[in-house]
Amino acid sequence: MDNQFAIETRDLKKTYKGKPHPTLDGFSLRIPYGSLFGLLAPNGAGKTTAINIICGLRHYDSGDIFIDGHDVSDGMQHVKPLLGLVPQDIALFPSLTAYENLKIFGGLYGLGKKLLEERIDQLLELFDLSASRNSYINRFSGGMKRRVNVIAGMLHVPKILILDEPTVGVDAQSRRLILEKLTDINKAGTTILFISHYLEEAEQLCNRVAFMDNGAIVCEGNPAELIAGKSECNCLESLYLLLTGKKMRDSQ
Amino acid sequence: MRKFRFLLYKDYLLLKRDVAGMLLMFLMPAILVVLMALLQDSSYRSLTESSVPLLLVNRDQGELGEAIDKQIEASHIFQIDRKVNEAIPTLEELEQEVASGHYTLGIYIPENTTESIRKNVARYVLAAFSGTMEKPSPDMVNFVIFIDPTTKVSFYTALMSTLKERTQKIEFEYVLNEISRQVNEFSPIPVSTEGFSTEQVHIDIRDARLEGRDLNPNPVQHNVPSWTLFAIFFIVISLSGSIIRERQDGSFSRMMTMPCSYTEYLLSKAVVFTMVSLIQFVLMLLIGVYLMPLFGMESLNLGTSPAALILLALSAAVAAIGYGIAIGNIANTIHQSAIFGAISVVIMAAIGGAWIPTAVMTESLRNLSRISPIYWGLSGFMDVFMLNAGVMAVLKECGVMLLFGLVCFAVAVTFNYRRRMDV
Repeated sequence: MDNQFAIETRDLKKTYKGKPHPTLDGFSLRIPYGSLFGLLAPNGAGKTTAINIICGLRHYDSGDIFIDGHDVSDGMQHVKPLLGLVPQDIALFPSLTAYENLKIFGGLYGLGKKLLEERIDQLLELFDLSASRNSYINRFSGGMKRRVNVIAGMLHVPKILILDEPTVGVDAQSRRLILEKLTDINKAGTTILFISHYLEEAEQLCNRVAFMDNGAIVCEGNPAELIAGKSECNCLESLYLLLTGKKMRDSQ
Repeated sequence: MRKFRFLLYKDYLLLKRDVAGMLLMFLMPAILVVLMALLQDSSYRSLTESSVPLLLVNRDQGELGEAIDKQIEASHIFQIDRKVNEAIPTLEELEQEVASGHYTLGIYIPENTTESIRKNVARYVLAAFSGTMEKPSPDMVNFVIFIDPTTKVSFYTALMSTLKERTQKIEFEYVLNEISRQVNEFSPIPVSTEGFSTEQVHIDIRDARLEGRDLNPNPVQHNVPSWTLFAIFFIVISLSGSIIRERQDGSFSRMMTMPCSYTEYLLSKAVVFTMVSLIQFVLMLLIGVYLMPLFGMESLNLGTSPAALILLALSAAVAAIGYGIAIGNIANTIHQSAIFGAISVVIMAAIGGAWIPTAVMTESLRNLSRISPIYWGLSGFMDVFMLNAGVMAVLKECGVMLLFGLVCFAVAVTFNYRRRMDV
């Protein structure tokens, strides 16, 4: 088995009950180790379904998934500790403090007490949240919640970090800080799968991108090379519109 | 195990910060148990200890009227008045007094009652000894009893039964004496009814009970277990709410991507809410034992088997937690779970006999009550409190509650898996 990919999916298919069309229809994706990989797609293209299946949150009808060489059909017990997920929702406990949230999520990853305390302090400092350590999440601004949401997914220093639109709805300062830290983490060796609607953001940040439409990957490569390959395109957004069309894609 | 400790820590913190949920689980049942016991206690006392106001008009100048008057007074059921505004009322005035609600009962013994009965007896004796086949026609004596129309039928029936029993006994004794007196006028051999008992048949009413125990539940004995079970089942609102909140805010999905199984996730909630149930249980028992006497009610007798009590409380907790987890998984919103949870627990409590004992329900309702786990819990607690039942005697009740909880748990897990994984 080829093990040069942190995540590899082969011909993944998934049709939700009661839906006439497949949400994933031959979804094949290969994310090399150490890459900062952008998955870009219009609404309803199936990217959240793909992420949920990769993280073991949904069943799939057919295909193969390998995470760090582990076949997920054999079970998720070896895969879960390798993954860190930053969901699109603010998946935190609003009535708990930032520290309490992080302590619980870090504890569930099996971090020892001393190491956990160190990581929490370190990451709160890194994301400029030390002063709000003991404040309740429901009193945080949108940008602060997003930053805690990101920290919760990387406390255990995962081998693979998956971020589903981590900068949606935050101000420019928070976005800049989050993206900077993600670049640092990637440089430190973590493979990152980055899902975003902000194409300019992906163009700056990612060293590889894939465009997804109608449940399958339509194009994949280095952003600069992909743009250069199409003479009529001068940026990732124009390439994206060329490949996925200008028709509105409201998800259902 | 270390990871499980963090799940426990999470559920403990979430519960601690849920002030409304804590009030619902601890304060509401504590207030309910005191309030309901006080209300039922006062109703109970009004029927057993208070006297029924009675206006008695005895216009008979003879022995029978006097005997009835004395018997009614000796019963201690009535608070008797014989005059209104210093005057003996007429039949019309008596009716007016009862109709206006000043008295629950009005009894009118007409003039010459004793004399009429004496004459009737004389006619019978004469007819009997003369050998005539013709039956004498007696002068009817009409007692009139007025009843407040707002009096409950059951209370009225019981009262009339008592009153009839007492007046008929006096009438019978009087007739017997009169026959004896008049027969002696004809007979050369004196006939005496002295020592003749009018109570030849004795009805022995006994409680089916263990030695030395009172079987009649007082308001404390009924209300403490009822509201304890109600409180334990009311955790379904907080429990199902926490499951739905975590599902909606995404933290549940996040935890499922971590090295944490769904079973561990549910088990943590079960442990925390079992602790809540046990604290509720101890709190309610303490209220029954120590607080109720401060309000003038009897202290709760806890029976002789703490092990049976703990087993019942744990079984009730399992049933309630299973039910809460099922609602939390089936309902789509917190609004749905709160409304459905609260109403279904109230219905379970009602048909389970928490408000009205199942003994006074119709047979069909009694059969229906068995589907409620609260019925089984209440039955078990009553056995322990009033019959000194031990662990073996409540195993059936515990088994039914555990089965209910496990079935709910299985439904919840299956439903969650199918919805979450879309299979």
